[in-house]
Amino acid sequence: MSVMKNNRGTILIENVVFLILNILFLTILILFLYKQGSGAIVLEQSYAKNIVLLIDAGKPIMEMKLNMEDAINLAEKNGLKREEIVKITGNTVTVKLSSNGGYSYSFFKDVDVTAYPDISTEKNYIININGYK
Amino acid sequence: MMIINNKRGGDKMLSAYWFAVLLIVAGGIFAMVYVYYGTPYDVRNIETRLLINAVADCLSYDGRINSNLASEGNLIQNTNFLNQCHLIFNSSEWKDEQYYTEVSFYKITDLENSLLTLKKGNNNWVSQCEIQKTETSKNLVQCSTKMFYSLDNSNNQYLIKILGVVRKSEKNVKI
Repeated sequence: MSVMKNNRGTILIENVVFLILNILFLTILILFLYKQGSGAIVLEQSYAKNIVLLIDAGKPIMEMKLNMEDAINLAEKNGLKREEIVKITGNTVTVKLSSNGGYSYSFFKDVDVTAYPDISTEKNYIININGYK
Repeated sequence: MMIINNKRGGDKMLSAYWFAVLLIVAGGIFAMVYVYYGTPYDVRNIETRLLINAVADCLSYDGRINSNLASEGNLIQNTNFLNQCHLIFNSSEWKDEQYYTEVSFYKITDLENSLLTLKKGNNNWVSQCEIQKTETSKNLVQCSTKMFYSLDNSNNQYLIKILGVVRKSEKNVKI
């Protein structure tokens, strides 16, 4: 405690404040990087394109399981139901992980496709190519 | 000069300098992250390959040319054949078609003159493939060509050349 009372003690407090501010700065930076990498915009685009490529590579009467754990967790955190995440309209796949926006991408195969969440505990999405239109 | 002489003043100046460095570093990291995550994933190269595979599956099965294209040792001039390939190039998200494919059939003895050419999609993008041959620009379309051999029902050999073109630049490249 004697250190705190004298002039040298003041320097110590300044150093401690400086150190705390540095740690705070680094924490904010790491949180920012983590948020950017697992953000809705990045995941929406990634999964929409992933699903489109799966459909384009697939053939009729194929069932594909896609693990979407991180996307489902994020969507549920944002108040969306699992059924609302992937929508296929015509030949366009839309992935929505937050209440606003969503990302759409189209495929070239003229097939009838349905997408629905897996009922099992695993956070998968099932993509069925039912047949040619 | 007072600041340099005074030890505490020197520390304060060091702190300000240190924070300035931190701000510059933070600014750099923010800018890099913004550029990295703001750039869309470019999947057009995979899409062109998938398009070519889909066309190839439609033209030939088990090493034999589709019977709607070849009969009694000759190719049938069925120029609308690609409409039977279950391909849809229109989409609600684009005003124009973003795909193009062209198939050329060559006799194995004459690889210069095409016997039959089939086309489907928006042919405006083909000219950009020519530009890409000399100058690679990601803002342009992605083009890919693949060739394979196939037989007709009379065992005549053909070389089939397929060109696949995908544009979709706005969704795959930061313009």
